[in-house]
Amino acid sequence: MRQLPFEYAYRNLGRSRVRLIASLTGSALVVLLVLASAGFVRGMQLTLTQHEGIHENVIILGTGSEEALERSQIDASVETIMAASVPGLKKEAGVIYASPEINMALPVRESAESDADLPAVMRGVRPVALLVHSAVEIVEGRAPNPGEDELMVGALAHAALGVPPDRLALGRTLHFDNRDWTISGRFRAPNTVMDAEIWLPLTDLQIATKREASLSSVVLTLDTAGFADVDLIAKSRLDLEITAMREAEYYRSIAAFYRPIRIMIIVTASLIALGGLLGGLNTMYASFAARVREVGMLQALGYTRSAIVLNLSEESLFAAACGALIGATIGILMLDGLSLRFSMGAFALTLDAPVVLVGFLGGLSVGVVGAIPPAIRCLRLPIPEALKSH
Amino acid sequence: MSLIECVNLTREYRKGENIIRPLDGLDLEIEAGDFLALMGPSGSGKTTLLNLIAGIDSPTSGSLVIGGVDISSLSKRRLAAWRSENIGYVFQLYNLVPVLTAFENVELPLLLQKLSTKERRARVGEALEMVGIADRHNHYPRQLSGGQEQRVAIARAIVTDPAILVADEPTGDLDKPSAKSVMLLLQRLNADLNKTIIMVTHDPHTTEFAKHTLHLEKGRLLEQAGVAESGVGEGAGR
Repeated sequence: MRQLPFEYAYRNLGRSRVRLIASLTGSALVVLLVLASAGFVRGMQLTLTQHEGIHENVIILGTGSEEALERSQIDASVETIMAASVPGLKKEAGVIYASPEINMALPVRESAESDADLPAVMRGVRPVALLVHSAVEIVEGRAPNPGEDELMVGALAHAALGVPPDRLALGRTLHFDNRDWTISGRFRAPNTVMDAEIWLPLTDLQIATKREASLSSVVLTLDTAGFADVDLIAKSRLDLEITAMREAEYYRSIAAFYRPIRIMIIVTASLIALGGLLGGLNTMYASFAARVREVGMLQALGYTRSAIVLNLSEESLFAAACGALIGATIGILMLDGLSLRFSMGAFALTLDAPVVLVGFLGGLSVGVVGAIPPAIRCLRLPIPEALKSH
Repeated sequence: MSLIECVNLTREYRKGENIIRPLDGLDLEIEAGDFLALMGPSGSGKTTLLNLIAGIDSPTSGSLVIGGVDISSLSKRRLAAWRSENIGYVFQLYNLVPVLTAFENVELPLLLQKLSTKERRARVGEALEMVGIADRHNHYPRQLSGGQEQRVAIARAIVTDPAILVADEPTGDLDKPSAKSVMLLLQRLNADLNKTIIMVTHDPHTTEFAKHTLHLEKGRLLEQAGVAESGVGEGAGR
């Protein structure tokens, strides 16, 4: 099959500036929309399931609190009991990877004078937490010292609190438990819920929340031990009322909780994209309908219908690709890393390669699907009738 | 043997319950190198006949043999290939592609053939030269007059060196001087290149440039007009 030159396809785009703008805008908007929704889903998914070290960690938490660490309450002795009872936990320089933690959602204020409560997700930890949670890296300052009213903030903590990032700069303070707490450090833990958390010494949080004798959880990092070893001990110590869960499994269950939201977003985005697609179809119908006689002429010259459909599709695809490129560029510049709040803190829209590819393909599909039906309709007329059309 | 042989050629269309028959058992032979004008009132079947000969329409019954090929038996794809090699079509409204230059418009039919770029360009240059529009090869249709546009369209029709040129009201949209100039060009192509030209026209003046004029009415040949005046006639109509 002999093809029409590609120049014919792309130069046809210049016939109507309005149509060209409509095609570019339509495709760019579809890409933006797909990027926003896919980036949302991807960001949330990565935050809840993908972080480093998650597959080696086991969480010990209170029986019946498997769906929310914040509700869990276990005896403070669980840490030492588990560290002593489970052979094969990771150990380095004499430190056993067993991190006692308190997880709490607490309202904090910007200052004593402020009357606005900001929703903070706090984690009381000991230094071992930095070993157990290998995704966490202090990027500025240092870890907070116990008893000095200090804390450190994650990279997305500002998003969870709803304040500008510079509000959580080193040396600034946050107010809760009737005193100011100074920010001594900043950490990052990309694609994890911890990235939006505020960490402070375990004892300080225990005192502030009056739960000196209890913990929310103990996080263990396995070395030679298997999950079954930990699980067996947890089940055998009925007196402690504890349950062992793989950290990955815990976050998978949280991710499952948010699944309806993700589906709703995908469905909404798909419906709007479908609207864009129908708009694209309409534009192409109008465009090709005005060229029925020309298409008849091309057939009279000897071009086959499939060659003409291909060329019209190239034209539409080229416009869609340009629009998709614009949409993807705007999306990457404006949406990538944009932080969003959710009940577990915050997460960042993630526009990684698969997401950008999906977005780009979405934009291209506007070009393909938007062109073929109008092109076929345009070619439906017999050549003599097409040549008579105006 | 005639170049074009139509035997009992019939074309019917269904329009609702009615059957319209623009061509009704037409018999016609056209010799190679003829320049035939087809006249007749609207609906007489002249454009239908032209379209059948051009291979852009298919007869309902009868046979149409052109250059020894029964084109009514060809598949759509083979018919398209046959058209690209054997037919040059000149339209009333030129049908140039507005986004392509005169050169690129003329080049369009050649893209269907296996030619090197160099050869293609040479042939487009020759065709434009032949119709006297070579100096406008870089102009877009909107930058050309109607007469110039039709010359480009004629260059496009002859660039593949087809045996047959079909022209549907080639001067229908032109002023008198341009129309005359286009008709002289067609006459020259017929005389110099021995192209067989079949032209549909409403304008009696343009028939003066043809070797024969045939009148159609209700899908049949009415008479063989213009024989006495032009002094030709063998083979046209039977």
